[in-house]
Amino acid sequence: MRAIGERLRGPGRRDRAAKPFDRPRFLKLVMGLFLLWTFAPIAIVVLFSFNSGKSLQNFDGFSTQWYSEFFDDQQLRDSLVASLEIALVTMIVATLLGSLLAFGLVRSRNRLSPVTNVMMLVPLVVPEIVAGVTALLLFTQIGMQLSLTTIILAHITFSISYVTVIVRGRLSALNREVEEAAMDLGATRLQTLRLVVLPALWPAILAAGLLTFALSFDDFVLSFFTTGEQVQPLPVRIYSAIRFGVTPVINAIGALMLLVSVSTIVLALALPRLLGRRGQTVLIGKDAV
Amino acid sequence: MSERRFASLTLLPGAAWLVLLFLVPLAITLAISFGTTDELGNALYGWNPENYSRVFDPLFAPVLLRSVAYAFGTVALCLLIGYPIAYYIARFGGRYKYLLVALVVLPFLVNYLIRVYAWTAILSDEGLVNGVLVDLGLTSDGIRFLNTPYAVIGGLVYGYMAFMILPVYAALDRMDPSLIEAGKDLYANGWQTFRHVTWPATFQGVLAGSVLVFLPTVGDFVSAQLLGGPDTYMVGNLIQQQFFEANNFPFGAALTTVLMAFLLVFMVFYLRSAGRAAAEARA
Repeated sequence: MRAIGERLRGPGRRDRAAKPFDRPRFLKLVMGLFLLWTFAPIAIVVLFSFNSGKSLQNFDGFSTQWYSEFFDDQQLRDSLVASLEIALVTMIVATLLGSLLAFGLVRSRNRLSPVTNVMMLVPLVVPEIVAGVTALLLFTQIGMQLSLTTIILAHITFSISYVTVIVRGRLSALNREVEEAAMDLGATRLQTLRLVVLPALWPAILAAGLLTFALSFDDFVLSFFTTGEQVQPLPVRIYSAIRFGVTPVINAIGALMLLVSVSTIVLALALPRLLGRRGQTVLIGKDAV
Repeated sequence: MSERRFASLTLLPGAAWLVLLFLVPLAITLAISFGTTDELGNALYGWNPENYSRVFDPLFAPVLLRSVAYAFGTVALCLLIGYPIAYYIARFGGRYKYLLVALVVLPFLVNYLIRVYAWTAILSDEGLVNGVLVDLGLTSDGIRFLNTPYAVIGGLVYGYMAFMILPVYAALDRMDPSLIEAGKDLYANGWQTFRHVTWPATFQGVLAGSVLVFLPTVGDFVSAQLLGGPDTYMVGNLIQQQFFEANNFPFGAALTTVLMAFLLVFMVFYLRSAGRAAAEARA
């Protein structure tokens, strides 16, 4: 019937005007171009990291020489290790402090907790350069030698808030009745925390930790301002290399860093799903999302 | 120990850390911004408001204006490109919706430096684009893309696009699609429906996205450093120079303080507008 009606009326102007967005061919084109624009540069970096020649215009043939050049370079290897070290320590300390802070913010009715809440949120909106400058000024003013330690201290400071926000979301969704039931059954406060609250929080804590790791590993600006002269983290190394000129080794480093970030984030997304399934229905209240 | 007491204790380590390594450094920055330097370039505390008058010196004021202009340009371009993308995903994504959102986010897992570097490699005089242009015979000696404002703003748009798309997508996804049907039933055409129904319903998302793009953009120095040159330097470059080349920490601190104050005013306006909108939505 509809087909006949359409044929009778013909593909008139009115028909199209009535449903202008039902066939969003234009939007589809925009979406396609957008994806091309976002992915082409990254694809080019990865592709040319396997180029056998030095050119960034012509792909001469497949080779892994830029990767071996990277791994043969003692300084670059040290930088990679330093970056991983920074990210690991940052992850552990920030996750611990951030989770405790989240617990305190949700469970205490302290007069100071609203102030603490604001103080916790501000680092999330502070531009990286401001973070870098303030950290550098602190370390130079107290006479602390810039090194991996200063980078780690700065990274922890600006990672705590991410952990707190993520863990707090999960914590405020917890059903308090389960904890009360545990205590009615004779569990002490610490036992309740360990046996009831922590298992429910683990997925969020883990995800927050991995996110912190990825952010710290990728960070450039904060590291740039707080790094010492000796061992510099990978992004700082890359920055000085780019300023001296474009070399295919940077492509290889870029591809490797991409691999690290993507696997960390995939892990962060997948682990809570895998771990969070059991017991979720009991521990999470109905109204919580 | 009561639970609240215990919870208050867990608040302590994180709060203390943030006071010592976030608030105290902010105070130090403010103090140094009024200071001077000795002959060796070490920062000394003092009372020198001249650092601030220097910020608005004809030598440096254009850089500040340029940063704000580039940041607003970036926000406008992100909105112009990002809104249709978010609209497409939210309304026509169908079963590919989450895949498309993931595709929008994925490039942001690549280090920002590497992404900007990719553009230097593509746009440089010996880069990919010029190679293709010369091969096609469209130009004999290539076109200069780098060191132009377009390259710098392009890098910023490329760098921060996801911050616009995600909140706008969330707003569009939350919106009741029957509102659009209702608009059409009332004989509004496509443009009128958009202007009177869709746009107002998603405006808070647009505002949030604009702030999320604006904040990191205005302080960025990587894009201007790698894709631009001295003519396109932003306030971030100027700050960076004070700490790594000119060794004038007090002036760098003053520039940082001005940047922070500007963003603070900006945030207050945003939060008030968002608060008002939330109150209206409740009423």
